[in-house]
Amino acid sequence: MPTLPERIDPAQLARLGSLPIKARVIVEGALSGMHRARLHGSSVEFAEHKEYSPGDELRHVDWKAYAKVDRYYVKQFEQESQLTIYLVLDASASMGFSGGGMSKLEYAGISLAALAYLAIQQQDKVGLVASGDKAIETMVPPRARTTHLHDLLSVLDTVMTRGGTGDETPATALKRIAELTRRRRALIIVATDLFDADDETLSVLTALRAQRHDVSVLHILDPHELSFPYDGLTQFEALESTNKMLVNPNAIKREYIERMQAFLTKCRGTMTAAGVDYHLATTDTALEKTLLDVLVARSKLGPGRRAS
Amino acid sequence: MGFLAPLMLAGLAALAVPIAIHLIGRQRARIVKFAALDFLMSTKRRTARRLRLRERVLLLVRIIACAAVVLALAKPFTSCERKGPRVTRGPQAAVLVVDDSFAAGYIVDGKPWLARATTEARRILTQLGPEAEVAIVRSSEGADHPTELTRDHLRLRDQLIALEPSSRPADTTRGLARAAQLLAASSHARKTVYLVSLNAKTGLRPDDLPWGKDGPELVAVDLRPEKMPNLAVTALRVVPEPGAGTRGVAFDADVANFSDTAAKIELSLSIADRVVARGSLELAKGEKRVKRFLATLPPGARASDASVSLDGDALAIDDRRWVRASLRDEVRVLLVDGDPRTVRHDDEVFYVEAALRPGDREDSGTLVRVITAEELANIDPRMKGTAAAIELESYDVLILANVAALSSERVSVIAQWVRSGGGILVAPGDQVDSAAYDRTMLPLLPQSLRDPIDTTWGAQAEDRDSRALHLVKWEADHPIFMPFSKAAPELADAKFFKIALLGPTTATADRKVLARFTNGAAALIEASIGAGRTLLFTSTLDRDWNDLPIHPGFLPLLQGAARHLARKHASFGETDHFVGSSVVLPTADLKKLEIRGPDGKSSAFEGDRIAGRSSIRFGRTDRPGVFRVTGTDLTGGAHERDELGFVVNIDSRGSDLTPAAAADLPPSGSGGSGAPADESRRVELWHALAAALLLLLLAEGLLVQR
Repeated sequence: MPTLPERIDPAQLARLGSLPIKARVIVEGALSGMHRARLHGSSVEFAEHKEYSPGDELRHVDWKAYAKVDRYYVKQFEQESQLTIYLVLDASASMGFSGGGMSKLEYAGISLAALAYLAIQQQDKVGLVASGDKAIETMVPPRARTTHLHDLLSVLDTVMTRGGTGDETPATALKRIAELTRRRRALIIVATDLFDADDETLSVLTALRAQRHDVSVLHILDPHELSFPYDGLTQFEALESTNKMLVNPNAIKREYIERMQAFLTKCRGTMTAAGVDYHLATTDTALEKTLLDVLVARSKLGPGRRAS
Repeated sequence: MGFLAPLMLAGLAALAVPIAIHLIGRQRARIVKFAALDFLMSTKRRTARRLRLRERVLLLVRIIACAAVVLALAKPFTSCERKGPRVTRGPQAAVLVVDDSFAAGYIVDGKPWLARATTEARRILTQLGPEAEVAIVRSSEGADHPTELTRDHLRLRDQLIALEPSSRPADTTRGLARAAQLLAASSHARKTVYLVSLNAKTGLRPDDLPWGKDGPELVAVDLRPEKMPNLAVTALRVVPEPGAGTRGVAFDADVANFSDTAAKIELSLSIADRVVARGSLELAKGEKRVKRFLATLPPGARASDASVSLDGDALAIDDRRWVRASLRDEVRVLLVDGDPRTVRHDDEVFYVEAALRPGDREDSGTLVRVITAEELANIDPRMKGTAAAIELESYDVLILANVAALSSERVSVIAQWVRSGGGILVAPGDQVDSAAYDRTMLPLLPQSLRDPIDTTWGAQAEDRDSRALHLVKWEADHPIFMPFSKAAPELADAKFFKIALLGPTTATADRKVLARFTNGAAALIEASIGAGRTLLFTSTLDRDWNDLPIHPGFLPLLQGAARHLARKHASFGETDHFVGSSVVLPTADLKKLEIRGPDGKSSAFEGDRIAGRSSIRFGRTDRPGVFRVTGTDLTGGAHERDELGFVVNIDSRGSDLTPAAAADLPPSGSGGSGAPADESRRVELWHALAAALLLLLLAEGLLVQR
């Protein structure tokens, strides 16, 4: 796996201008160290060989065949079918937490923007659903047009500007996607912190995977949520409820970390068992690295796992 | 409650500190909006509640800890009234007289009263302080007493802890007298006797004062429960009961009710540890009655242990009493008349027969057959099977009364029989020629005979009595003489006018003179011949040479001699042995005697302790019950000797727990000078507070750690 120098600090990125610029910066940063060909054809299926004739694209020349038979053959592909990608952004109140740097919502939003940018460039159909507040319907249907990218990014921008509200989990949004896609397989990328008391999200993700959708989960957490670096008497206030807890953090730190580890283990275990592509990312991780992780993991999946 | 340093209580204001810290801490708490904690922790509601509770408990612990510090510094104390007897601390001499009689085993609230008594005695010992010289005197009868006062209170404490109820009645007066002696030897001005006793009336002798007016101060510690009802079997006797068959015996049990109320008592009779009869008895308060049980002894046993017990009350030791029931063994005597007469009372064996079979009764325990010297020829083994034959084996004892010397053949037949275990008594008379005896009879005699002497020879009729000899110096411990007292006028008054003198000793073993006359001549000589015995009486068994037969001592002497020769002793168990008394047992030619008490402990008499003795004295009768005796004879065979076993009972005087009146106690002396003791004492509480503080700090530490 190619390594990526962490060129772009998420904090610096946050200071950049509009979302389209951020998305582009990330995508270019992520792809600059990769062989581009690896990404091509991620939406096409190989059909047959034909002998090279001038005018054919050089990138379709099968160099392995040339090595064997000393003739130029060009790989012919079935008619490219568009991949439908649903981006699901968990915009609930818990995603608004920031331990100092970028909030989880911002991190998730920019990550999804980058993915949208990339997909649109590949002519894939990209849709967006943001969950969190029942009162606010945020749904952008999948399209492949370049102008669609602008719509997508502006909606994402709006959601991020509004900040995390509500306590709805992405499960509702995912169920809706399942209804919309019906039998057509889609790639569903969810960016969430999975703070779901009922584990509903996990079960819906598992169900989607069972319907042969390609599912990726970008599990986003703040570093403070992992290390619990608090000290001194502190009143912790919940973001999705009115609960308050006055406590000496040192007294509960060990138990908190144990429970967090157990939670992460459960999430990873459930996802892996269901065949869901799972990526844990903290908000201090370089965004292009996170993006690359997702892309590399996807490129490693065999053709059978590709959605069509 | 009071405080030695009340100003320190001002420090209670410090209680505000933990509260303030808690409140300020709450206000100053940083507020952080944090989703994960609520998601991870508060979904477990219990965790949240527990955390809140812990905060509050921690606050409470800190407040109490602060309060404990302040209160401890203020040195709180409380004063409490002294309980129990007045005890003055300091240098002094004191004796604790503790009642360890069997009545101290009376169960009060599930524990023996003695436990309560020793606890109180230990408390007094503590209060006396280390400078006091103290002794502990047990007030049971026959208890060993200390010889001096001591400051070794640890040892005294151990003595008190180890104290257990004895099996003897109380003798409080003796205990007090010993206490007074111990205190008299002390140079301390203050002398006190602490009497920790049930104060039973039977333990005190009011007319026997242990000290005079200058005696020690007496502090009677009254730990007696208000009522101490007691039922007891105070005596048990056994008498033959021919009406219940040949093995029938009657047991008469004296049962007493030492209570204020009437009682219905269930009694049971056990023979050889098996209950064979039950009965009940109604006794009014203070009443004593006899309950009779009829029973037959188990077949095959000549003697058996029996006990009568009543259903348990608070004092168990006097609820059971043992007795040894035995059937008398018949002694079969072959009496050879060496000088038969037609006038009955002139006959040589008239008195002997009468003594052996008084009233000619069936139950006299002796079977006598009288034959003449000529008939003795029929003992010849060659006569066996004929009608006239006399089988010596059918007899235990052979008495030759004034029988002329027998032929060597007969003597050897008789000697053979004696060697195999027979007993022979030889008494001379006018028919006996000492020279002829020397020729043939020596195998049967312990000593050869010489011509008799007549002490009244030539005397006037009125001088006859004064010149007569008397029996003196008999072996009082010998079974034959055991029934007689030391003076025994019934023997000593008998006059002997003519006695046979003795020549050289014969080849017999264990020769011993059992009695002598006033002139030093031997009267009764005993010796062993093989497994048998021979007795030689040096005067006649009728009134020819003496008047012994008409004295009361003749009957027990002759019966004793017959039983001794036959090795059938009168039952010793019929006497009531009390705990602590010593029991005399005949050695009966045994090599070793082993006595096993009711507690299973054994005492063995062997070697020097038994060799050459006709009886032994056993003193370790410290528990009531049955003592069994195992004898090892000369052949090395060990058997239980039923006839030697005996029972020991408690002295039932101690069962009467009626309290003594205050006037029965000896008057309390001045006991030296002494300021009256303070009736109340101060108990400082800061130690407890300091301990509580330590615990609180520990708890606080644990709560913070968690």
